[in-house]
Amino acid sequence: MSLDRRRFTALLASGAITAVSSRPASAGRTLRVGQVVNGEELPVREASWYKKLEEGRIECQLCPQACTVADAERGTCGARENRGGTYFTLVHSLACSIHADPIEKKPFFHVMPGELAFSYATAGCNVECKFCQNWEISQFRPEQVQSIYLPPEALVEAAKRAGARLTAATYSEPVIFWEYVRDAARAAKKAGLAPTVVSNGFIKEAPLREVLPLLRAVKVDLKSFRDEFYRDQLRGRLEPVLKTLEIIRGADVWLEIVVLLIPTLNDSEREIRDLSKWVKSNLGPDVPIHFTRFHPTYRLTGLPPTPVAILERSWKIARAEGLNYVYLGNLPTHPAENTTCPGCGEVLIRRLGFKILENRLEQGSCPACDRTIPGVWR
Amino acid sequence: MTRRLTRRELGALVGGAAMTRVAGSSTEAVALPKKGVVCTAPLSAGADDRVEPGAADAAMAAVLMGATGSTDGAGAVRLLFSPRDVVGIKLNCLGGRRLSPRPVVVTALVDLLVAGGVARDRIILFERSSRELERAGFPIRREGSGPRCYGTDNNYDRKPQVSGSIGSCFARLVSETCTALISFGVVKDHDLAGVSAGLKNWYGVIHNPNKYHDHQCDPYVADVVRHPLIREKLRLTVLDGVTAQCHGGPAYRASGVFPLAALAASIDPVAVDLWAWKVIDAERRRRGLETLEEAGRPPRFIATAARYGLGVGDPADLVEVGVQG
Repeated sequence: MSLDRRRFTALLASGAITAVSSRPASAGRTLRVGQVVNGEELPVREASWYKKLEEGRIECQLCPQACTVADAERGTCGARENRGGTYFTLVHSLACSIHADPIEKKPFFHVMPGELAFSYATAGCNVECKFCQNWEISQFRPEQVQSIYLPPEALVEAAKRAGARLTAATYSEPVIFWEYVRDAARAAKKAGLAPTVVSNGFIKEAPLREVLPLLRAVKVDLKSFRDEFYRDQLRGRLEPVLKTLEIIRGADVWLEIVVLLIPTLNDSEREIRDLSKWVKSNLGPDVPIHFTRFHPTYRLTGLPPTPVAILERSWKIARAEGLNYVYLGNLPTHPAENTTCPGCGEVLIRRLGFKILENRLEQGSCPACDRTIPGVWR
Repeated sequence: MTRRLTRRELGALVGGAAMTRVAGSSTEAVALPKKGVVCTAPLSAGADDRVEPGAADAAMAAVLMGATGSTDGAGAVRLLFSPRDVVGIKLNCLGGRRLSPRPVVVTALVDLLVAGGVARDRIILFERSSRELERAGFPIRREGSGPRCYGTDNNYDRKPQVSGSIGSCFARLVSETCTALISFGVVKDHDLAGVSAGLKNWYGVIHNPNKYHDHQCDPYVADVVRHPLIREKLRLTVLDGVTAQCHGGPAYRASGVFPLAALAASIDPVAVDLWAWKVIDAERRRRGLETLEEAGRPPRFIATAARYGLGVGDPADLVEVGVQG
């Protein structure tokens, strides 16, 4: 997904974004809201989480990659650059993709069903998933994609005009534009919108804890339950992600988990069972978990789409291990898209893809047995 | 161990070897040396930090003759390039005017290519971005009768190519436009890779080099260069060592700069990096600094590139040929 200029232009035309105000984006540069930023003409802002080292080097303290970056170099994300011993983010307020999506597309199944989430992303990512669906923005540097200048207040304004009740930092990896996430979430919250984040969870504790109070919900992609997978398939590590999940669960923020099942790589019975057990014992049985179907892409084109039987087997394992809300994704029409009461088995929310066909919840409870269904329903 | 040879000794060295013709005309004597030969010539700047064009021309001709075993500069070019080639010269301009190949030295190579039969308008000087070229003193030129000079400027293949551990989109200038390539780098320390000379210069033709800087860029640098798009087109590596940097790279850092006063060339892209490592470490020792190995950042990718068969990575097999320009 490259810059969604067409959608952006449509939003402009519909009045969702008003390109009126000029704001200072960085020292010496003024951009108009909605202005397309090309090539290397990137506005910069000093990054928030880094440490200065000797001889002009810095250590990034945003994510567990903990990049040590020399002058004129960038971190592994490609979105942060050391300029003379000061570390800068190159992507604050530079959205390369925006769209008002159904919240179910994130996917959040227990967060304001049927509402729109104004979704935004910048270029870059702190890992390199060989199976990335959005590699055309996540695996490129900001000057390699077209972006628009969309500061937090303008983003919120655009969200409101689009009829969205939520914002979602998503598509690429919000961790690498965390200052933008923080400032946009603050503006969204002030405007009465619900800020959400869709992330790989590969972030250090301090920046996570700093921004969490501003968020309403976080969805984390748990790519696998094996560290070997994390190292081989995305150049990351498992342990920091598990820690992130625990921190989010311990905060006043709604959490959902997605596991993309890739044939032969992370779909074994044992791995799914271990993962489910860990989720239940460390996060509790009520955290929704979505097993989603893999489609060949980017560097992983030699594997077939995930067989439906594997997805269904994983669903059964997770349910058998005691997880209450287990879903299957990228499988439109499958009954495991629905939310079912774990108490009486009543179907509470019927879905077709990202569409809500029926929502029978009554003030967050099952109308049949009155059991409270956890989530952010309003 | 490095052996220093004279050009006469080099002639003897190459004379008896089994030679591989790269791209020369059918009438040219075939005389390319074995892998492992790096030819160096003295080349220094004056008090005003300028290199005399005549000195650059002479040094360039000398190192190309030494690197190829040819008896004249134009002949050296004919051994490596055909008039049908579109020759891309990848410059490393990250260091700006103070630590990039000097325009006068690059011009010497361009003139020699022309003398060897490559039309000026079939020569492309390029870097990752046009802005970097301009900052290093290379005016952008996309048309006309002279050599082209422009950045890849994010014009990449649409699909990533997998080579060993890397997965990258290559610049179309490399994948589609050029039929022959030259790496024209500098001799400098690199904070993560250890050395940035000829091999690492090729990070500038992939879209995602920021992903491949851990573990001293090993095996990633070697994986980029062994991709057929580079490996099958790369004919020559030239290093402008008039000014080098032994510490604080890859950006220019005055405290790490020293006058190496040399120009180096090789048809072996690995050996020339080995040579760069050697001279950087020599300067570091002279200053009482740790060697790159001791500092925990040896350029491991050199040995990996050698294992891939890209050239000579064993210091014992490095043959340094010192010639006069």
